[in-house]
Amino acid sequence: MFKQKRAIMCLGLLGVLPLAVVTGLFGQGSSPFPVIHYKLRNGLEVILSEDLSLPLVSVAVAYNVGSIHEPPGKTGLAYLMENLMFSSGSANIAPFQHFNFINHAGGQFNGVAVEDKTLFYQTVPSNQLGLVLWLESDRMMSLDLNEASFEQQRTYLLEDLSQRRVNEPYFESFVAFDQYLYSDFAHSHSLLGSEDNIRNLTLEDVKSFYSTFYVPNNAVLCITGNFNALRTRELVARYFENIPPGKDVPQSFAPLVYTKKPIVASFVDRFAAAPAFHMGFRMASPISNDHYTLTIIDYILFRARSSRLIRRLLNPDNKIAYQVSGGIEQRKDRVTYKIFCVVNTPGMGDQCQNAIFSELDKLKKIFISDDDLARYKTVFRQDYLGRLSTSMDKAIYLCESYLSLGNFDDLPLELEKFMKVSPNDIIPFVNRYFTVDNSVILNVKTR
Amino acid sequence: MKKIWVVMGIFVILSGIPLYPQQEHFRRFPPPPDPLQELKLPPIASALLSNGLGVSVVSRENVPFMSVQLVVFAGEVFSSGKLPGTATFAAGMFGRGTLIHSASDIDEIMESIGGTLSVAVNQDYVLVTFNFLEEHLDQALDLLSQMILQPNFAENEIASIKRRTAYDLIDKERDPQFVGKRTLLRLLFKDHPYAKQAFSSEVVKNWNQADLMDFFDRYYRPNNAHIILTGNISLGAATRKVSHYLSTWRPQDIPPVFPLIPKPPDKDKICLIDVPQAKNCAIYIGAAFPTPTVQERFDLTVLNQILGGTFASRLFMNLRESKQYAKFAFSEINFLKDGGVFFAQALDVNPQTLIPAVQEIQREIKALTGEPISFQEIEQAKSFLMHHFPLEIERFNDMGARAAEIKARDGGDEGWNKYYEQVKLVDAGRVFDAAQKFLLQPFYIVIAGDKNVLFKSFIDFDTYDVYDNKGQFQYSVTKDKKGALNEAR
Repeated sequence: MFKQKRAIMCLGLLGVLPLAVVTGLFGQGSSPFPVIHYKLRNGLEVILSEDLSLPLVSVAVAYNVGSIHEPPGKTGLAYLMENLMFSSGSANIAPFQHFNFINHAGGQFNGVAVEDKTLFYQTVPSNQLGLVLWLESDRMMSLDLNEASFEQQRTYLLEDLSQRRVNEPYFESFVAFDQYLYSDFAHSHSLLGSEDNIRNLTLEDVKSFYSTFYVPNNAVLCITGNFNALRTRELVARYFENIPPGKDVPQSFAPLVYTKKPIVASFVDRFAAAPAFHMGFRMASPISNDHYTLTIIDYILFRARSSRLIRRLLNPDNKIAYQVSGGIEQRKDRVTYKIFCVVNTPGMGDQCQNAIFSELDKLKKIFISDDDLARYKTVFRQDYLGRLSTSMDKAIYLCESYLSLGNFDDLPLELEKFMKVSPNDIIPFVNRYFTVDNSVILNVKTR
Repeated sequence: MKKIWVVMGIFVILSGIPLYPQQEHFRRFPPPPDPLQELKLPPIASALLSNGLGVSVVSRENVPFMSVQLVVFAGEVFSSGKLPGTATFAAGMFGRGTLIHSASDIDEIMESIGGTLSVAVNQDYVLVTFNFLEEHLDQALDLLSQMILQPNFAENEIASIKRRTAYDLIDKERDPQFVGKRTLLRLLFKDHPYAKQAFSSEVVKNWNQADLMDFFDRYYRPNNAHIILTGNISLGAATRKVSHYLSTWRPQDIPPVFPLIPKPPDKDKICLIDVPQAKNCAIYIGAAFPTPTVQERFDLTVLNQILGGTFASRLFMNLRESKQYAKFAFSEINFLKDGGVFFAQALDVNPQTLIPAVQEIQREIKALTGEPISFQEIEQAKSFLMHHFPLEIERFNDMGARAAEIKARDGGDEGWNKYYEQVKLVDAGRVFDAAQKFLLQPFYIVIAGDKNVLFKSFIDFDTYDVYDNKGQFQYSVTKDKKGALNEAR
């Protein structure tokens, strides 16, 4: 509490904060997780969270951009852009040197582009915080986009795409399934893009994408770990405050309209060795209490070793599937539940689909026992807390939470909301969403 | 006036100032680092129970988990000569059923305490890692004690472990990297028990319940084990809890098995491991060495960092970045209870660049024994090791695993709170001495890949041995005076 008050005072003394929020996450009786949140004049959201246990600091920069922001005909841009952020260099940093600076500092780094966001993150010794802010600000401000680096990354992307087609069986079927599950172009195309689109991209397309989305008013900077809040605020201001904001960033998508009738289709996968199927259900918005219920249902169905679909489909004494995976997929405000199952014969596919609907029917009609629900929730809690075990984990979590919700209002009690999900919440939810009418099935055939 | 602008423009271009005219000066250079913060890890406090079980605690507050690490000195070195892999087999069965609970019951109990269990085996010891939500310490220790005191080696679980291990090994035996490293270990240790770690898929069928039970009964003893608790607990409380659940674990005398590390070959020995259909190949160049002193361990660690510890080390910069002979090129030093292993590796090597890749690795190793290393390179390597150290133990169970390794290797504070101090003491002279002592010897050079593809490259070698992907010797090839190749089985 004292630390929080001290932080507010420090921020107040700097006197330039349009917004400052200090909150402790995870509610009463949980580990303290202090968060300071403010916004720079150029629109950059800044999140600070101190943890003094080891001399390490993590910095994550999340951009509110992914493949869903790509215009038709320009797919692959988001993924390409993520690679260019590492390889291109910027005004003061030579190509590929971002990596070298972090490596020489003894740190580690990575980046990831997904459908609705792009994240860059690194952990370094605390005494190198200034270095990381210098690196991140330079590529946010002045990425050196030129023909040479663009062509190189485009070649890598095309190679990556062709390698995945050959080496990752079912890759093409995953891409095809999204086209049935999502009704709009933004969500239904692949993050890796299409070969035709990638070949037709120009340097101007890349520059335009960068100047539209890789701007401070479309980004979140999160710093977690062992740092001095006052000094860190100074460093953030020094390196980021003067980066010019971009224009207002387009973020609105067409409202989702789903017809309530089942979709069943088939797809021939050239590289698949065994038949398989994808099954999907369209869900509620992530910003609703249904999100908590769905998450716990995910544990009942898939996440634990004793989860119902795992035991039903992969029971060693009566194994009807060869391989099963599944879970919640969230792309901005779209949430779906996906199941993918590899089987030995097409007949086994039908058997598996019947088994899945049979397990869902049980969930619709029979209250889950308190013991079982408590066990699944404990596994969930273990995962939830385990995902926050390093400073980098926390930085990524805070960035993602902010991009998803736009604030931290619900975070202090978030865990408790999951833990409060009851059998009474589960039955109506499953009846509402996990229905045959709301299902999309793509049967994958071998050539 | 115009002339002045032209001159200024030329000056700006020549001086290399980028085209960001209003850029602040501080953006042009990386900021200097602040002073390095002191590393203050919680001490590893230890006690000994009356049955010989060592108990250690690493106290950490404000973490929702506890971690229990059980070290049992029952690594592959203790497997019988006729049944290599028995230690791996026994470790794989850990937690797969007790007299009270089936494996499936244990899965559910694990879930109800937010627990995960993993088991790792190396040459010297088995490390069981059990993480769980901190409020479930009693249930966790109760379950762990049942796994130790009342294991049920059910036939169906044995069959399952054997099946999984065999499939896993058969799958890996298609990978030049796995096969190359395994063969190197076999060659380095020959008849030494450490060679048993490198068993092949074919031995799995010989594993059986009686040998498993015998192994477990012989080596899973408290006087042959150490338990480490990491979390919000004191040594006193931990000792009481562990004693409550494991005081009936009976000790037993265990004979040591550590013959001398075998001598290296008289000259570099080249081996080709045939991995049919492999697209690229893997190169391993390595040697075994006798037990180093504590100081020498740090010298070797810095040496390894310079040679091939990371992406910025000599091997990677040379073989990948500069010459593009290999996709990855690193080196490793593994310290064992008795001696250690050094090896350099190049992975995903294009067969056409095999020979120059081998030569470059040899040249880089030789350079360490013959040329002084610059102060800057030494300091850069030390800086990386010190700065990276906290990252290696940041994750909760990694800290416990590090403490377990220290206990398993009879280490002290030099691997913990005095790590920085020890690394700082290393200098160019010490690294040179370590290179002279440990690297100035003939090496085994193991190349794993498709024999039919690599055949042309091997024409350059005067003599080499050929093995299959299970590690079985096939034949030797020797070039005679006229240059003809002769095979001998």
